[in-house]
Amino acid sequence: MNGRSEVSLKLASLALLLFFGAAATARAQTARVAMDQLDKLGAKASQTVDVNIDERMIQLAAKFLSSKDPDEVKVKEVVTGLKGIYVKVFEFESEGEYTVADLASIRSQLTTPAWSRIVNVKSKKEGGIEVYLMTNATQIGGLVVLASDPKELVVVNILGPVDLEKLSQLEGQFGIPELEIEVRKPKQKN
Amino acid sequence: MKRLLITVLLLSLLWISPPTGVAKSDDFSTVVKVIEDFYDVKHKSLPFLARAGIKTGTAAARLSGGVRKRLAEAGSVKVVFFEDQEFNSKGGIANFRARVTTTLAGKWLPFIQVLSAVDEAQTYIFLRDAGPKYMVLVVTIEKREASVVQVTLAPQTLAMLMQDPDEMGKAINDDAINNDDQE
Repeated sequence: MNGRSEVSLKLASLALLLFFGAAATARAQTARVAMDQLDKLGAKASQTVDVNIDERMIQLAAKFLSSKDPDEVKVKEVVTGLKGIYVKVFEFESEGEYTVADLASIRSQLTTPAWSRIVNVKSKKEGGIEVYLMTNATQIGGLVVLASDPKELVVVNILGPVDLEKLSQLEGQFGIPELEIEVRKPKQKN
Repeated sequence: MKRLLITVLLLSLLWISPPTGVAKSDDFSTVVKVIEDFYDVKHKSLPFLARAGIKTGTAAARLSGGVRKRLAEAGSVKVVFFEDQEFNSKGGIANFRARVTTTLAGKWLPFIQVLSAVDEAQTYIFLRDAGPKYMVLVVTIEKREASVVQVTLAPQTLAMLMQDPDEMGKAINDDAINNDDQE
């Protein structure tokens, strides 16, 4: 290999490193969680729902929500400032169609210090529910809900300033299923 | 001789190079072709007289506030139907989804996709900018029939429909079937 090719190769490697480094940093700074790895479950699911609403679409919806209708005012307040809503729902006819590894593929992305699991939540629905919040300094950067029961798997990823109260107002809208999340009251000590 | 060579070269280039503008606006036809190839079916356009006999859609009426109001911008509707044909992916519904998504990737936002492998029911809604308005492409597939609808919507109409994505495809389909400005 001559000197010129070697320099070109080094430059190309550097460019690739910079590109992938920047991509990883961008992902780390946002609350966007990769969910495409779950798409393979679609082949086994009796029903699959996949919703992708980016910031532009959210702001478009917010712009045209009524400022007079009390319900729409609430939703408008919640969605203003959001940067994305991504939902995947898989319903199965029988149990055991998804694995612990499928859940782990989501959980593993939520182990950085920016993410914290809210422990005192429950759902009126059957099965387990996990809610994770991402915080950047003092601001909430996003939220992930992982709801699983033997025949259903739901992943909701909302980017932007959203908390549990706001999430409950969004249930049933913009493709977010009714999760019926409640905050558990702390047990009183005797 | 040189001039002839240049002319031939230019003509070849014109013939080879894809007409990008046309390709972009013809994603509708490409999706129709994807359905035809994957399911081995043939489409047909619904004649106006047949459409006139179809009752007004209720989903569109409900979403637009009780009184039926046209959703699509005048003259923007493209509709293709597949009737009384078998849509059986033989367990390959995920492959079909991948095919459609890949076809439109980068140009259209995959807004909502609802798939039911058991009864082969599928709804895909894709969105794209069209200046100040938005283009919406709806692909609906059931066991024996399917449709592909493309409409242009005003931003406020899209905003209204987006609040209930589950009903969005049905509302647009109803509207397109009843729209007499179809291309």
